[in-house]
Amino acid sequence: MRKRTLHRGLTAFWWATLAFLYLPLAVVVLFSFNAANSAASFTGVSLRWYHQLMGNEEILSAFANSLVLAISSSVIALGIGCLIGYGMYRHRHRKLGWLIVLIYLPIVLPDIVFGISEMAFFVQIHRLTGLLQPGLGTMIIAHVTFQIPFVALIVYSRFVGLDPTLFEAAKDLYASPVKRVVHFMLPTIKPALISAFFLSFTLSVDDFVISFFTAGPESATLPIYIWGAIKKGVSPEINAIATLMIGAVAIAAIMSLLFSRRRPA
Amino acid sequence: MAYTGVMPSARSRAMVREARHLLFTVAPGAVWIVIFLVLPGAYLMGVAFMTNGPYGLPQMPLSLESFERLAGFGFLGWSPGNLYTLLRSLWQTAVSTGLVVLVAYPIAYYITTCREKWRPIMLLLVVVPSWTNQVIRTFGWMNLLAPGTPLSGLAESLGLIAPNMGLYPSSFAVTLGLVYNFLPFMVLPLYAAFEKLDTAQVEAAQDLFASPVRAFWHAVFPQTLPGLLAGIVLVAIPAFGMYVIPELLGGGKGMMLGNLVATQFAGGANWPLGAAGAILMLIATFIGLFAMRRIGKRLGGGEEVVI
Amino acid sequence: MTNNKKILALTLGGLLLAGSAQAQENKLYLFNWTEYMDPEIIEAFEARYDVEVVQNYFNSLPEMFAKLNAGGVSQYDIIVPSNYYVPRLIQTGLVQKLDKSKLENLDNVMEQFQDPAFDPGAEYTAPYQWGTTGIVYNTETFPEAPKSWSLMFDPEVNPDHPFALMGDGQVSMGGACAYLGHGYDCTDMNAWKEAARLLIETKGRETFSGFTDGTPALQQLARGVTHVGLSYNGDYLFFKEEDPDSFATLDFMIPDEGAEMWVDSMLIPSEAPNPDMAHKFIDFILEAEIGAQLSNYNYYASPNAAATPYLDEVLTKPPVQPSEADMERLRFTPSLEGEALQTFQQLWSEVQSR
Repeated sequence: MRKRTLHRGLTAFWWATLAFLYLPLAVVVLFSFNAANSAASFTGVSLRWYHQLMGNEEILSAFANSLVLAISSSVIALGIGCLIGYGMYRHRHRKLGWLIVLIYLPIVLPDIVFGISEMAFFVQIHRLTGLLQPGLGTMIIAHVTFQIPFVALIVYSRFVGLDPTLFEAAKDLYASPVKRVVHFMLPTIKPALISAFFLSFTLSVDDFVISFFTAGPESATLPIYIWGAIKKGVSPEINAIATLMIGAVAIAAIMSLLFSRRRPA
Repeated sequence: MAYTGVMPSARSRAMVREARHLLFTVAPGAVWIVIFLVLPGAYLMGVAFMTNGPYGLPQMPLSLESFERLAGFGFLGWSPGNLYTLLRSLWQTAVSTGLVVLVAYPIAYYITTCREKWRPIMLLLVVVPSWTNQVIRTFGWMNLLAPGTPLSGLAESLGLIAPNMGLYPSSFAVTLGLVYNFLPFMVLPLYAAFEKLDTAQVEAAQDLFASPVRAFWHAVFPQTLPGLLAGIVLVAIPAFGMYVIPELLGGGKGMMLGNLVATQFAGGANWPLGAAGAILMLIATFIGLFAMRRIGKRLGGGEEVVI
Repeated sequence: MTNNKKILALTLGGLLLAGSAQAQENKLYLFNWTEYMDPEIIEAFEARYDVEVVQNYFNSLPEMFAKLNAGGVSQYDIIVPSNYYVPRLIQTGLVQKLDKSKLENLDNVMEQFQDPAFDPGAEYTAPYQWGTTGIVYNTETFPEAPKSWSLMFDPEVNPDHPFALMGDGQVSMGGACAYLGHGYDCTDMNAWKEAARLLIETKGRETFSGFTDGTPALQQLARGVTHVGLSYNGDYLFFKEEDPDSFATLDFMIPDEGAEMWVDSMLIPSEAPNPDMAHKFIDFILEAEIGAQLSNYNYYASPNAAATPYLDEVLTKPPVQPSEADMERLRFTPSLEGEALQTFQQLWSEVQSR
């Protein structure tokens, strides 16, 4: 009996928590269709804010920047991170404590500390050498830095999960190391590569603080644009962009659900 | 990799090859992180020991001025301003971490009691909101808590807030935003802990102790402790350095350490002071990690406790 | 395997180049306040000089100053700060002198702006717009609002409605000084301390909503988040025009104790990528008709004498052109430097962190 009331209570709590989690997002979506410029009253359905969005060059360029940044940083991080992940696996019997510390550093560092140290450093380097002017380039560097550890760890754990004798077999099968990489390594770790890429991509799109401090005049990403718009106080338009971004996340969630279901885990 | 029975010279050649292999695989990433994170970090620490120039930029000579400023000593005498900010950060972190635990613990347990095929979906439901951008999530709360909205009206009619004020901007809004932001980080490790729960132990405890509270305390709680601690690390450390949420939801009232640090750079105020604040944040982070590791080891949770 | 390194080196090199090759000849980077430029003027300029204008915005002067220090000095061609930030920009070497031979329309500037105190001889600056910072309040909430800072600082005048002060410390502090009878442009240490104490007290009041920059303050007022706030006369009119319903119950006033009058000027950062085009842009803005178009769009008073005949009628009366009585009470925000600036910043950070 008691167990049942407990379970019922928990069920209620679960739904309440879900409401808590989704209410703010729902409000953003709802008010993106609001006819009036108000957070308090919903006066009617309209697409007025979406119309305002379209043809807003700044938003389009912010969107493009977000994409360029996410894709290029993910690709670079994938290359570098893969190498480290493999190196860590291959040499896991050595004492690599310093490497582990180095790899965890970008993960544990508070992002504000991360952001301002890069900014201060880039500014100084730029002053001395003229290189590293704040812009997409510096943002890509910063993003790659925080993506590398995640790629490395994912790839590493994939290798650890493999049967070690596979490597011996591959060695017998393919004489050249290049062929071994192309025909054995890459195909075996493909799932890890895919998930590492998507994680890097998501981390990049999601990042605000680090981007904010390393951005230049032409490299505002969507989160930076939204931040600026909130600070400026033009609210209803933000609802519309935010709704589009929430929609993208919802699609990603559904995809990941379908994807994980199709594969018997 | 067995090299037994190989000639010593061949063996040493193999070792060299291995070392070179290690270098080539690990060096690019390691060098990258050193150049683009360790060096900047070191530079920032250096900035903290420089003097604040007349317009907020670091300059020579080296001094401890910025740490004195951080501790509240200006040339106007001691003032508790920064101390308040620090205490506020600690307090906000503690309260919101506590609240997150209170919400996440039953949720994580509840998910493990549901049918297995539902569990991944339920976890996904908890995690998905955190996939949206932090700025957007916070903006959602700005919409929800503004004066004149139903929630604010409710709080007003219950006498919780002064009339016309609304729930945002306020410290309450900041706490709420923090709880919202970090809930998934607590649910996931707790869920993992609950899933591994040794039910035999729990049943034995149920027989042993008459009260379910004591059974829970002696059999269930210790088993979930590693997950709980992992969750606390994942929540408390980023919450302590949080910048976006207090900035957007706090108005001018809820300033936290993250904002103090950020405004020194983004508001053109005082780089050395900001750098000193960043060092404080780093120290807190490492103390947190270290403490959790120690506790985790003592509890037998081992490495998995830390991320 | 060495290939990997080469690829890495190439990628890195590419990134560095991408970073530095950003500034191109046919672009003009404008760093301006939000909502402060008529898009048609930009289009006209782009068409005339076959150049692309890239606009970036700031919400407050500290933010602008920080961005310039963080590399912006070599990335923007034009910045548009207010008077009291000009001296520190000059002294930190962040801006360059104007080449007056390239500015044919300089004579269009009104006499009182030709030799400003913040830039003697106008060697670095060309005026853009001028205006005032006043109190915007809800007339429904305060039907008989006094023309005074007490709407913010006196809990008896405004006991239970949310209000916001300005994020820029010098303006909020000046307001507190004015309310205390020391005048808006006070720089006396004791007056400042008293003002800081008042601000800390005010911040502690339940109805204090936060520190908000000028433009967002209007949005907060329009949405009912606050009922009193600080903003600029032109922005007030601009948004009132855009959204008459929300602004119907909002009014702008200059408190009798004194308030801010400011001049925003165009300056060229010392390492601007395209100073030539920057001069062309300044000269363009100084043209009579363009100057008038700018003011007509922004609802701010024009420092351009030649523009006067083309100005809309609304620009010739309050709040754009303050009444003579108000004009007497308006003051420039003092430019601080050296120890005074340090003292001020400590007091202000004290106010913020309490």
